[in-house]
Amino acid sequence: MFKAVIIGGSAGSFQVITRILHSLPPTFPLPVLLCLHRLKHVRSGFVEALSIKSSIPVIEPNDKEQIRPGKAYLAPANYHMYIELGNKIALSTEDPVNHSRPSIDLSFTTAAQVYREKLIGIILSGANRDGAYGLKKVKDLGGLTIVQDPEECQVRTMTEAALKLTPVDFVYNTNEIIKFLQKIKP
Amino acid sequence: MIRYEIGIVDTRTVIKTLLDDFGYDFRDYALTSFKRRLEQVILNNGLRDAEGLIMRLKNNPEFIDQFLYEVTPETTEMFRDPSFWRLIRDEVLPEVSRGASSKPRIWLAAFDSGEELYSLAIILKEMNILNNVQIYCNVLSEKTINKIKSGRLDPKDIEVNEANYQRLNGTNKYSQYYTVDGNIYTFDSSLVENVTFLKQTPLIDNEPGAVKLILFRNQAIYYNQLLQEKMFSKLSEVSVAGGFLALGVKETLENTNANNKFTVFNDNEKLYKRKTV
Repeated sequence: MFKAVIIGGSAGSFQVITRILHSLPPTFPLPVLLCLHRLKHVRSGFVEALSIKSSIPVIEPNDKEQIRPGKAYLAPANYHMYIELGNKIALSTEDPVNHSRPSIDLSFTTAAQVYREKLIGIILSGANRDGAYGLKKVKDLGGLTIVQDPEECQVRTMTEAALKLTPVDFVYNTNEIIKFLQKIKP
Repeated sequence: MIRYEIGIVDTRTVIKTLLDDFGYDFRDYALTSFKRRLEQVILNNGLRDAEGLIMRLKNNPEFIDQFLYEVTPETTEMFRDPSFWRLIRDEVLPEVSRGASSKPRIWLAAFDSGEELYSLAIILKEMNILNNVQIYCNVLSEKTINKIKSGRLDPKDIEVNEANYQRLNGTNKYSQYYTVDGNIYTFDSSLVENVTFLKQTPLIDNEPGAVKLILFRNQAIYYNQLLQEKMFSKLSEVSVAGGFLALGVKETLENTNANNKFTVFNDNEKLYKRKTV
């Protein structure tokens, strides 16, 4: 019944993402869209680091790449990553939003418009407010929303901003997020 | 970040107005980014919604140039991807400028707000070959031409630009290419005095022939795949055999018809070379 999972994170989210990707079944039935803040001038290394322990392939997509289930798509350095009708990635070099490019708000907003109630949006640890508005859009359009428990976050600014703006469906720690995702059936 | 959001139906109505009333065809621009650009124009100009934008376009004929100026995303950095510019300087330009009887042509085919053009001109100047090449630069609005010619680029994040220049290992100081007066940065406009500006429609119908280097970085991302195909095919036609084509680092000719017209010169920087027919 779901069509995609989108995850946003910043400072303190790398280990959480690594654990999530490691714990997914290799036959995970949905695409996983990752919008993580990263150094804009460092183009290589990140996707390789995430791939090491991931049980599904992690890709840094080219523009207009078709989104497929069972793969993770990492927003490339210094681009915004939009989800386009037709289930494609669309990249953009427009101005940073919330001082961020990729901006979590933009990835989440465009994913929400395409997948609507069939989207799961997850906000993890981070040091700014990017993602709060995007998660609200996911919720407003009928999607399911999860925020990492701020108590567990290395930096809680991002999750607290999201919780302030949206009554989310679940506040989960990493283990609970993993259990939730492992239960998703095709 | 609460802002006006334009719907798909309204977006199509604006696109139809642009085509019917002005002959500007945006139908095959990528929908998500084009919607966002329209929202930006509506916000910048205090227009309430899509209808307000359409009224302004219809009632103020001179507004179209401002619209074209704002609908084009700004290039946000000088020397974006320094490793790309190093490659251009160390491997591409020496070959492009070698042994030509007439000035080799370089075509900046993306709709740039000046940063790509000035980056290129600075590199050519530091190689002492700025006057040995002919640069053509696409523009969508008159306002962009005036801005680029005056050197009044938006300074953006000066630290990012400075850091990019340092990663390039340029021969000078970045700060010698502009003057500062309060908040106003003026780049040395003599860098672009011999550039030929080509006023274009959104579909780029006015192309120079026999080009040896085409810079088309991060423009195709704003097109759908149909228009990407058309543009890549057009670029392959104006490129001389052995000529270079640069796309953005996340754009690719793979899976397009133009792919068999080019070989990959550098995959990381998405630099292609036109095959000899």
